Order: sequence, then structure tokens, then C-alpha cells
Amino acid sequence: MLGLLGEQGSDFAHKVDYAHDVVTIISVVCTVLIVGVMLYFAVIYRQRNGKDHETPAIEGNNTLEVIWTVFPTLVCIWVAWLGYDSFVDLRTPPANAMEVNVTGRKWAWDFQYSNGKKTTSELVVPVGEPVKLIMTSRDVLHSFFVPVMRTKMDVIPGRYTQEWFRPIKTGDFQVFCTEYCGNEHSKMMARLKVLPRAEFERWLADDSEAKKLAAMKPSDMGKQLYVAKSCNTCHSLDGSPKVGPSWLKLYNRQGTLTNGQSYVADHNYIKESILNPSAKIVSGYSAGMMPSYDGQISDVEIESIIEFIKTVDGSQKIEPEVTLPKRQDAGASAASPADRGKALFQDSANACSGCHSIDGSRMSGPSFKGLWGRKEKLADGTEVSVDAAYIKESIWKPQAKVVAGYPPIMPGIYEGKLSEENINDIIEYIKTLQ
Amino acid sequence: MSAHASTAHGNDEVNYLNWKTGIWSWLTSTDHKRICFLYLFAIMIFFIGGGIAALIMRTELAFAGPTIIKDPHLYNILFTMHGVFMIFLFVVPGIPATLGNFLIPLMIGAKDVAFPRLNLFSFYVYVIGALIGGYAMLNPVDTGWTFYAPYSTTTNTSVSLMVFAAFVLGFSSILTGLNFIVTIHQLRAPGMTWMRLPVFVWASYATAVIQTVATPVVGMTLLLVIAERAFGAGIFDPTKGGDPVLMEHLFWFYSHPVVYIMVLPAFGVVGEIIPVFSRKPLFGYKMVVISSMAIAAVGFIVWAHHMFVAGISDFSAKFFSIVTFLVAIPTAVKVFNWVSTMYKGSISFKTPMLYAMAFVFLFMVAGTTGIYLAMLGVDVYYHDTYFVVAHFHYTIQGGAVIGLIAALHFWFPKMTGKIYSERMARIAFAFLFFGFNLTFIPQFILGMDGMPRRYYDYPVQYQTLHTISTIGAYLNGFGYTFALVNLLWTAKFGKVKAPRNPYNSTSLEWQTASPPVHENFETTPVVDHDPYNYGTHSHA
Amino acid sequence: MSNAAIVDHNVPPGEPPHIHHMDTPTAYGAAKLGMWLFLATEILLFAVMFCSFAIMRYYHLHEFHEASHHLDLRAGALNTAILLFSSYTAAVAVTKAQMGDNRGVVKNFTYSLLCGFGFLIVKSYEYTHKAHEGMFPFVWNSDFYHYKNFLGLYFCMTGLHALHVIIGMAIMFWYGIRPARNNRFSGKYYTPVELSALYWHLVDLIWIYLFPLLYLVG
Repeated sequence: MLGLLGEQGSDFAHKVDYAHDVVTIISVVCTVLIVGVMLYFAVIYRQRNGKDHETPAIEGNNTLEVIWTVFPTLVCIWVAWLGYDSFVDLRTPPANAMEVNVTGRKWAWDFQYSNGKKTTSELVVPVGEPVKLIMTSRDVLHSFFVPVMRTKMDVIPGRYTQEWFRPIKTGDFQVFCTEYCGNEHSKMMARLKVLPRAEFERWLADDSEAKKLAAMKPSDMGKQLYVAKSCNTCHSLDGSPKVGPSWLKLYNRQGTLTNGQSYVADHNYIKESILNPSAKIVSGYSAGMMPSYDGQISDVEIESIIEFIKTVDGSQKIEPEVTLPKRQDAGASAASPADRGKALFQDSANACSGCHSIDGSRMSGPSFKGLWGRKEKLADGTEVSVDAAYIKESIWKPQAKVVAGYPPIMPGIYEGKLSEENINDIIEYIKTLQ
Repeated sequence: MSAHASTAHGNDEVNYLNWKTGIWSWLTSTDHKRICFLYLFAIMIFFIGGGIAALIMRTELAFAGPTIIKDPHLYNILFTMHGVFMIFLFVVPGIPATLGNFLIPLMIGAKDVAFPRLNLFSFYVYVIGALIGGYAMLNPVDTGWTFYAPYSTTTNTSVSLMVFAAFVLGFSSILTGLNFIVTIHQLRAPGMTWMRLPVFVWASYATAVIQTVATPVVGMTLLLVIAERAFGAGIFDPTKGGDPVLMEHLFWFYSHPVVYIMVLPAFGVVGEIIPVFSRKPLFGYKMVVISSMAIAAVGFIVWAHHMFVAGISDFSAKFFSIVTFLVAIPTAVKVFNWVSTMYKGSISFKTPMLYAMAFVFLFMVAGTTGIYLAMLGVDVYYHDTYFVVAHFHYTIQGGAVIGLIAALHFWFPKMTGKIYSERMARIAFAFLFFGFNLTFIPQFILGMDGMPRRYYDYPVQYQTLHTISTIGAYLNGFGYTFALVNLLWTAKFGKVKAPRNPYNSTSLEWQTASPPVHENFETTPVVDHDPYNYGTHSHA
Repeated sequence: MSNAAIVDHNVPPGEPPHIHHMDTPTAYGAAKLGMWLFLATEILLFAVMFCSFAIMRYYHLHEFHEASHHLDLRAGALNTAILLFSSYTAAVAVTKAQMGDNRGVVKNFTYSLLCGFGFLIVKSYEYTHKAHEGMFPFVWNSDFYHYKNFLGLYFCMTGLHALHVIIGMAIMFWYGIRPARNNRFSGKYYTPVELSALYWHLVDLIWIYLFPLLYLVG
């Protein structure tokens, strides 16, 4: 009706929005009426020339009192019913709903599917089918909030809560933690990815990432896990202190604990700190910040993280990697210009895919799907058609012509980094995405 | 009658402010009017402290990404400090302990409260609580003012000290409430029947009942949090078999009624101001009284509407939703009666009246947005978003704090014997009102867009509204500063002497000297009319 | 006059100075109403723990049953008897005060005080015993770890109650025995005795609920 709550992503969203809009109209009308009457009285019964005029000693009116007691009561009953009605759907998951286990921890979300597939900070679900989240927390209270789905539920340690929704459209959506949980509360987000059924099935059956991880050198696998397990939220690689100690030169480091004893960050110490973080806290840091990874991480994974920590010895600068398959040979060996463009697009050093989708879904920047030749309305109101010149300008000078509705946040780092030739390859790649 | 008070009879210049001098005579005074000022200065320290914390937070939030605060932990400390200072140290004692103290004995025609020494004792209990809280700030708490377990039972900031401070402050609140109940029951002047009590006294009575009945519950809950932290009592911590949701229940059993501790006295203030400046009796006096008591009563059975998504059963969610709507009805009745009082009045727009009218508007917004949060399906969306933040700031700042500022202006001549500059007060009002709305209307929209609260940083799409909100916060802060400096300056340096009854009011507190003598009235008053004896009865 | 405390010399001897602005019946009514309100807040204080007890018992029914058998039933019963008797002597003290028998007040309140001491001695014996067994805060024995929910509440409830016993004893001494030794009470003025006894009855009453709940029901 009014669309005040934005995009609707679930089938019950319209019901919530209807209740919301009805009460909005009632509220606005009542407020305007009452304040209007008050202002009207204030104007016509104002004191004139600084002198009081005679006023009647009206002490009340029982009929009016009855009316304005009964009338709000009736309105409240109606509105309460609307709220109730929208709530029943929210709390009644269909019996055939697909179940996903959700674990909240400081400060990330872990998801596990019935076939054992695990993800962190990314919940992938099929469109059109009910999904039930069985949720618990490993440490303190969290709350799983998906605005487009209009649903939210606290995640409580020591018990299970649940919420469900049936996505009605594909795309990437924001998940927030809405129950205050400590330092990185505002960073405890996740992405909800709604895929077409077939694509979801493929994704769910795809264990290539897990296999690839298993085939990796332990230190490389540890490097992946550093991001995948959200270690990077609290442990830096460059020596800067965050919530936890930096991993720079951590291996075999010596120091004191909060209880005054000394420690050596050897194999045993690191393993214990991962499984039972509160056991030995380094002086200057706080207990209770790190959740236990007991049951969340295998021995092999712990080994590989330790191997990775060994490599963070300060001899070279190490950047965390966000995407799994790193293309070492981006651009060079690929055959066609479009393939070279695709490689550049996927290269994490350029990170185009962080903001531009190739499937039409909306991210921080416009999707590349169907971009070529499209007419875009710019933030300043003018219109532009996407050609080679526009794309080149947008890569080298991102703020020059920003498409309306998108924030001007693309960094201007590509001039000098991407050659004209690179850009032509990217343009060829974009042309393939129709 | 003591010899000192007797000397006051022949001499208008001797009043409660100057009948004894020296800082010691203030700090040890059992005179309810002087205790009002002790509280006023104490709570203003925390109002300023909490306000500065709010402005630092708003500055940080003006733009996405870290701006002036580099460490999220510091931000968490700031919003905890803002909440604890504003709730426990400023707004809860706000109107009751200051103006309640000053006005209740004057309005009912008593010489003092029932237990004057207990009254002073509660002030020092407050001071002790405040000092403990201040000491706890050496290792500042980062839990938020709600102290939810298990975060509060596991963080290594000084939660135990801070909740103990809240416990001690609660004790002060209990003793004040108890004192007022007994005062109103026992010390009414001859002829001051229950139905002749000004509505401010009724509101204070309802408030005092809530203070006495609800506060022990949170006190004990907070002690159990300490027990949990000290030796792992296993009540709230799930790793020890406890139940964090139980903690939420017990906490809100107090902390929802506490909202009415804050706002009921402000209702009372508005009920006093509007009749005087409209020259009309308060419309539907009985209904206003009944609605105060109804709000106090219903307020006790609605607490779990703070917990619709906390994992409570669907049945309890439905129950608490329905009873929550019951609060809306008496509140609406009050608003209707205030507005009707202005009908056919002779309305003058002195500063207190401007505040009272602003209150009606702000409270309409607060009340109607409260309806969204009582609706189950909609609250699931809005819970813990900026919509809630905006809603309760309209209630507590737009309600309780505006009520306090209105009351300070209205009774200023009686309290200090001086008249403040009307022009300055109106300028301050304009900044305050405009800044307040500019701060919180964008926050309603942020809530609609799903922005969660207690976020140190946020996705960039929320930035514009945050920036506007920050600008509003500065204007609002400036308005408060201006208003309070105006009053303080007048109290200290003001030259214009206030007459006994500058507004030509008919209620009892204006029928004595401004400022009143030590024991309030030269002779015990005898009451023979209603508090709002305005207008002429038609003889038709 | 630098001391600002209100000292009123017209108050009849024996009456507390702070009620100078009320006549005697009003002062009596006010004091009594105030005390009843205060008792209500005390009951609410304990209500939180009773409520927590009910919920924790629901979660850990079996453990609560077993753990309650580890409490010393005889010590609890003895303490119940002690407090009941002390409540009786406190009630007698009020009657004596109403009759103006100040010596009777001193005598009966002293009995109640001694009972209070007896109660605390038995309680500390129980606590020491629990500490030896490893069922005490800070020295939990891991064998009894699953009793922690029960014992945690047991120590919170009885601990706070013991604190009330001590406060009640202090009140009886300060507002009852001390003025009675100076013959302050008469048939017209006995408010402090009555209020001290009221408070003591509350302390007794709370124990009357604690005993079956902790020792018998479990």
C-alpha cells in the first residue's frame, strides 16, 4: 500500500506491510486531528490584548468521555487483530520446510545444511520454498534479522529457537545481528543468497570447495580458514592489536597471561586457545571475547591454521583472501579477450565481483548483466547509454558518472592498475553477459 | 512551631532559601524544598554527562565507517553510559525526586513530607549509588543499560559494581516513593479531599506506587547477576544451566513500569499547566485521575512486549500484545482531556504552555508509534531497530524530559522567587523542539529501512538520515543548554521578583509566598474548592 | 544557628523529633503505613528468588530433588522452631509496650535477639558443613556440579535471609531495647516497638516459606 518498509522478499511480507500501513494511516490521521484541534483552539481561544476573557467553567462531559474511551478501544482491538494475524504466519512454518542449522557466535553466523555442507556468513536458499532456520548461539544472545523477509528471532545459548520464511524472489539480501553482542556487533552480518531451485541444488551438491581445501598445502588451507572462520575479525596479520592478539610472529611467542603466568604460543597453546579460548588469556586482552570452536573445527583444520600462523613471520606482507580460487595467471594465458576480461573480473586483486553481480542481482554497484548498451539514469538526472567510453571512464574515474540509486563508493584505484587493453577485455566480457 | 519559622511571619524577606545559610545547611537540610534542589543539581550532572555521551555517539554515526571513535568498544561504553546515566541517574529520579519533592507537600497543604529525615537519607543513598556508578566507570561497562545475560555475566568490565550501583539507586527510589505515598495519605490539609488533589499529586501517587512495587524486583535481579558473576550461581548463565530469558523477564518486569515512573509525573505537569493558561478547569478531572491509576496498574502486566522475539512462547506473545493495547486507551483519554480543556479558554502562550502543547504533539507521536511495537507481526520487524530508539526517545525525552523542563519553567517563580526572561526561554524552546524532531524523525525512517540499533558502524545506504539526525542532536543539545543556562542565570542574577501567584492560579502551592517560608504556609491552609477553580458557572 | 537539623524542643519527650510536623495519631498512622509498604518491598525482593526457584526447579527437577536431600533437615527444623519462638516473644514485647511495661519489652526483645543469634549459629554451622563437602560458592566440588543451580539459589536465598535476620536484630536492639531501658514507651507511645516486631515477623515469615521450599520440597 504505502511501501514504507521497502522490498518484500517473503510471501508473508505483504501481510506485515499491510498491518503496518493501516496503523500508519490511523496514526497519522489521529495525530493530525488531535494536534490540529489543539492548534485550532489555541488560535481561536487565544487571549487577546493581554487580557483574559470570561471562560465557562466546563468540568467535563460524560458522553464525550465514553466516546473517546470506547472509540480507541475499538480501534485497538482491530489493530491488535491485524498484528496478531500477521504474526501467526510468521510463527507457523510449513511441515515440508527445508531445515538449516544456524549458529551465532561472536561475531559471525555459521550455517549447516542437512547434507553436511557448511558455510559461514552466507546463507544460500532456493527461491519459492520454505526454509526453517534452527538456531542456537555458542556464547551470548544474538538475533537473526532478515529485513526483506520481515522476520527476526533471538538466538540464545543453551536452547534452540527457530524462524522461517519462503523467499519469493532471487537475489542477495542483508542479514543483521540485532541483539547487542559485543565489540563487533555491527559487523556481525551475513548474506542471504536466494537462488533458483536448480542452481541451488547444484550449489548444495558442490563439494569442490571442500575438496580443493583438502588438497591444499596446509598453510594455504589455513590462510583460507583465516577468513572462512572469521578469525580475521579479531586477529590481524600486520601486528595491529584488535580484539585478540595479532598473528604476526605469534608462533613461539612468549609473554604473560592475565593470571601472571607466562606462556609460549606453541602448538599446544594455540590448539587449546582455539578449542577453549578462555583458558589462557594473554595479558592485556579480555576473556569471553572469543567463542569456543570446539566441534566447529576439525583437527586437520587446526593443524593447517597453525601452519599458516607459522608463515606469518613478518618476512613478507600477507593479505587475507576473500574469494577461494585465486587466479594466479589472470589475463595472461586466457584465449579470447572475453575470457581475459572474465579473469580480470574474478581476480580478487581487482575485486569487481565484490560490488557488481553477473546475474542481474543488485549489489553495491550496477550488475554487469545486460549492462552493455543499457540506458542508465545518472544521479544528476541525465541519461547515458553504456558504451566503451562510458565504461572506461567509470573504471578510471568512478565518481564521474554515478548511476542513480547507487552510492558513490567505488574506489579510484584502477587508473594505472588496469591498462586500456585490460579494460577492452573487460568490455568484451561484459558484452557476453546479456 | 520553631522560633525560626515564627520570625518568618512578620517578614516577607525570610524564606526557605535564606532562613539558614551556608553550604552545610543545604547538605543537611530535611526541608523538602531544599532537597529538591540537592536532587536537581545531582541529576543535572548526569543529564549533562549522558548528553555529552549522546553527542559523541551521534558525531561518530554522522558518517559511515569510523570517524571520531576508532574502537567499537568505546562506542559500546558510550551507549551504556548514556543509558545508565539517563535512565537510572537522571530520568527516574527526574521529576519525582525534584518537583515531586518540592510540590507534593505544597499542593496538599503540608509542612513537609511524612518522613523528612528519610527523605534526606534517600538523597544520600542516591549519592552513594551515583558514586559507586562513577567508580565503576573506571573500568567502564559495555553491556548496554539492560545488562542482558549472558553477556553481562561473562564480560570482564565492572558489571558487578555498576549493577550494584543501580541496586542502591533503586533503594533511593523505593524510599522516595514510600515517603510520597505516606505523605499523600496522611498529611493532606483540612478540606483537601482525594478528589481535590491536583492531578500532579495523583500522578505522583501512581508513580510512587510503581516505584515501591517494581523497583525491588529489579534490585534483586541485579543482585542475582552479581551472584552469577561472583560464584556462578547458575541462574542466568546457560553454560551453568541457567536461563538468560528469565533474566529478561525479571528485568523488564521493572523496566517497563519504570517508563511510567518517568512519564506519569510529566502527564501530571501537563495537567497542571494547561488549565492555568487556558483559564479553564481541567476537563474530565476524574477520568484523568482514573487513567493515571489505570496506566500504573496495567503497566505491571505488559512487560514481555519487550520480548516478542526473545524466544517466549507464542501464547505469551499474544497475551502480552493484547494487554499492551490496554495502555493505549487511558493514555488516549488523557490527551483528549488536555485538548478539551483548551476549548473556549482564554489561552496565553507563556513558555510552560508552549512546552505543554509541544508535549501533546510529541506524546501523540510517541503513543502512536508505540502501537506499531505492540502489534506482534510489525514488532518482529521493528524490534531492536532505530524505530524503537526513536519511539522511546519520543516517550522519554519528548515526554519525561520535556515535562521536567516545562515544570522547571512553570514553577520557577515559586521555587526561586524570580521571573526568567520569557524571550530567552522561547528561543531555547524553539531550538529544543525543532532539534528534537530533526534528531528522531530520521531515526523512524532508518528503522523502517531495517537499521539495527547499537551499531557502531552501518552500511552506507543509511548515511544521509544519520547525518540529518546528528545535526538535529546538536540543535537539541543547544536548546537544552540555552534553556538551563537561562534558568540558572536568572536564579543567580535575576532581578525581577516573582509575586505570590504570577499566573493567578487557584491551586494551593501558589497561595503562599514566592519562595515559600520554611514550613510552606504561614498558617495551615483550609481547602474549600477544587484545584482548577477557573471560569464562571452559567446560571442558565 | 549553624546546625540545620530540625530540632524541635516542643516535642513531648519520648517522641522522635522528626514527626514534629504531625500530631501523634497522624504520626502513628504514617509510621505504620510506611512500615507496611516497606515490608511489601521486602517481600517483592524475595519474590524474585521464589520465582527463579520455581523456574529453575522446572528445568532441573531431578537435580533439585537430589540436592535438597543434601541439606540438613534437622538444622532447618531447629531454626524454624527458633524463629517461631522468637516471633512469639516479639509479639509479647509489643503487648508489654502497650501496657507501658518497659522492662517486659527489654526482656522479650532480648529473648528474640538470643533466638536470632541461635539461628545464625545454626546457619553458619550448616554453611561450614557445606563448605567442607564442596557445596559452597568459590569451593564447588565438581562432583556436585549438577547441584549448582539448586545450591546457588539456596545460598542466595538463605544468605539474604540471614542478612535480614541481622538487620532485624539491629532494629530490635536500637529501636526497642535501647529506648525501653530508658523507659521511653507508654500506652500512648509504642510505635517503634510495634514496627520492630513487624519487621521481625516478616523475617520469620520469609523463613516459614524458605524452609519447606528448600529442605522439604526440593
